[in-house]
Amino acid sequence: MKKLLPYLLVSPYLLHVAVFVAFPVVFSVVLTFHSWNIISPMQYVGLANYERLFNDRLFWQAIWNTLRFLMVHIPLQILLALMLAELLNRTVRGASFFRAAFFLPVIVSGVVVTILWQQLLSFNSGIINRMLTAISLPRVAWLDDPAVAMYSIAVMATWKNVGLYVILFLVGLQSVPEQYYEAADMEGATSWQKFRFITLPIINPTIFTVVVLSTISGFSLFIEPYIMTEGGPMNTTLSAVMYIYKQAFQYYHMGYSATLGFCFALIILFVVVIQKRYVEQEV
Amino acid sequence: MLKYFILLFLLFSACQRDDANQSRSLTFWCSNNAGEITFAREFTRQWQRNRPDKPLRYQPIPEGQSSEEIILASVVGKTTPDIYANMWQGSVEMYAKARVLVPLDTLAGFRAFINARCDSAVIREITSSDGHIYQVPWKVNPIMLLCNTRAMDGLSTKGPPYTYSSYTDAGRQFKRDKDGDGYVDQWLGYTEVKAIWYQRLFNFYPLYLAASKGAPLLTRNPNGRLQAAFNNRHAVSVFRFLQTLYRENYFAKERLSATRDPFLANRIATQFTGPWTVEFLEKYKDPGFDYGSFPMPVPDGHTGPVYSYGDPKNIVIFNTCRDPQAAWEFIKTLVDQPGDLRLLELTGQFPRRKNLDTDPYFAPFLTKHPRLQPFARQTRYIKGVDNSEVIVEVFDIISQEYEACVIFNKKTPESAIADAARAVDVLLMSERTIE
Repeated sequence: MKKLLPYLLVSPYLLHVAVFVAFPVVFSVVLTFHSWNIISPMQYVGLANYERLFNDRLFWQAIWNTLRFLMVHIPLQILLALMLAELLNRTVRGASFFRAAFFLPVIVSGVVVTILWQQLLSFNSGIINRMLTAISLPRVAWLDDPAVAMYSIAVMATWKNVGLYVILFLVGLQSVPEQYYEAADMEGATSWQKFRFITLPIINPTIFTVVVLSTISGFSLFIEPYIMTEGGPMNTTLSAVMYIYKQAFQYYHMGYSATLGFCFALIILFVVVIQKRYVEQEV
Repeated sequence: MLKYFILLFLLFSACQRDDANQSRSLTFWCSNNAGEITFAREFTRQWQRNRPDKPLRYQPIPEGQSSEEIILASVVGKTTPDIYANMWQGSVEMYAKARVLVPLDTLAGFRAFINARCDSAVIREITSSDGHIYQVPWKVNPIMLLCNTRAMDGLSTKGPPYTYSSYTDAGRQFKRDKDGDGYVDQWLGYTEVKAIWYQRLFNFYPLYLAASKGAPLLTRNPNGRLQAAFNNRHAVSVFRFLQTLYRENYFAKERLSATRDPFLANRIATQFTGPWTVEFLEKYKDPGFDYGSFPMPVPDGHTGPVYSYGDPKNIVIFNTCRDPQAAWEFIKTLVDQPGDLRLLELTGQFPRRKNLDTDPYFAPFLTKHPRLQPFARQTRYIKGVDNSEVIVEVFDIISQEYEACVIFNKKTPESAIADAARAVDVLLMSERTIE
């Protein structure tokens, strides 16, 4: 009994992993070699799904769209979060109010925030375009212009998530020993020099965490384009996850959808490994 | 302790008895709008009075993002009802191929019924690729052109009904920048611009049917295999027509759905819509607002009938049904003359039966509701969608090209239609490979 007890104690967790992690992963890998529309029996198709993937222009466009989103979203998010955290780290009046205010969008439902921004960015009746018109600037088709739509979504997603990273950076900044700054002051270091040579190296692990977290959350971009643009205009906001969802739940191509998901997981893994290798060293 | 066992035993027996009752009775899922729930309730009660030996209960389809999703989930979970009314015609082929529907033509009396209710074109339309019929044609909502007649009467354009030239001419006269901010804020029309497949059922597809006199999107080649049939002058002319409307700003590109209904607010003068809009307009229109329903615009020089999309919803029996013959007997009560008239009265939706507009049985209703008469006349010239498992993807492919060509003017109509047809052929080929 004593020998069995440890196994018994970890069994609920093992069961959970087996049912909700291991089985879905194995099943989705099996699915990649099958054609299945949920209601008919599965059919073995060999590597046909993989062959289709490499010729699927829309999938690669969705990957490129997601990368475009990340290229704006990640730097913007890190810069903004670091800037706000730096400001909040100083003795500002009402600092706790600002911390709560910046964090508020994080806890508000993504759907609510997205609908709100959809109204703000509306071409005809959106407040942003009304403000532009008021100062004699032309209106912008924030969500209807293929060249602009994905960047509008990136800005919106940054606004929604920045609060979380502000808190992470704030924790990192508060862990920097005050003596280092005092010593630097005595040496006559400028604010920039203190930031560059003291703050940045010490909060390096936080930066890496933020980069990885925002990369993974950025790769899973779904709610924003799904609600705001439904992937348009001209598929320029079609994210990879949205395309996988469409294949699965609009066309019921479960096998092909699993193949896309599997390939996409490999791409994310590749990007994160690259980030780990370079970002960690560079910063 | 014993009394707890007895209590448990009684509980289980009660559950079992209830379960046995449920399995004996037929389940009928109806749509979950108020009109159709009332319809289902009335006909279920009538059935229970007349056929107490065959218990039947109705249930509005459970809430979900769409009824199609709910039906799919119930098929997967094997919790389908016996009878489902409101099946989109385009979904039937997929379920038929998955063998989850009862072939109705194997039931006694079905053939005679269908021949009496529908003409041969409709029967061909609803016959699956395996030669069986899995659906009872039930109701349609023809898509037509609704015009603000007051606004359009002021224009020096011939029509309605409109040809492409007269319609675009009306657009030229009607568009305006009312507040002088440099942006058009009054358009001839608006139709959803999103590249979502089902939106094409309410703009491209009815216009294509109108231009082509009801031609299909897909056809079978001599080998019996499906291929794209829309790479033709009709589809190209529809794309060109719509492209002109957007390019010249006669149609609004921006989404107007977030504001008050633009038709009622006089921001647009026309819209492509179905009879469901009539009830809405009658309820919310301002005094003095007047409108009429007309056939869809057609290419210049078009002769003959003007077809449109009928948005057909049909009734099916799932193969989980233990008594398909009884289910069929019940369905017959929904689609006989009194059933069809009651559907019209309660929901304003049209039964899919031949000669509806001239049938004296329905004449008093139509006389009482003149706004619905044009829709009743249109029911003679309507089509559903082609029978194909991948019809949703076909419309999705057309939507992608529609967006590139019609909305963003990035392609010529000829190349957009050719590209769409090519992509559909590739899709149909890959489906065959997988089959």
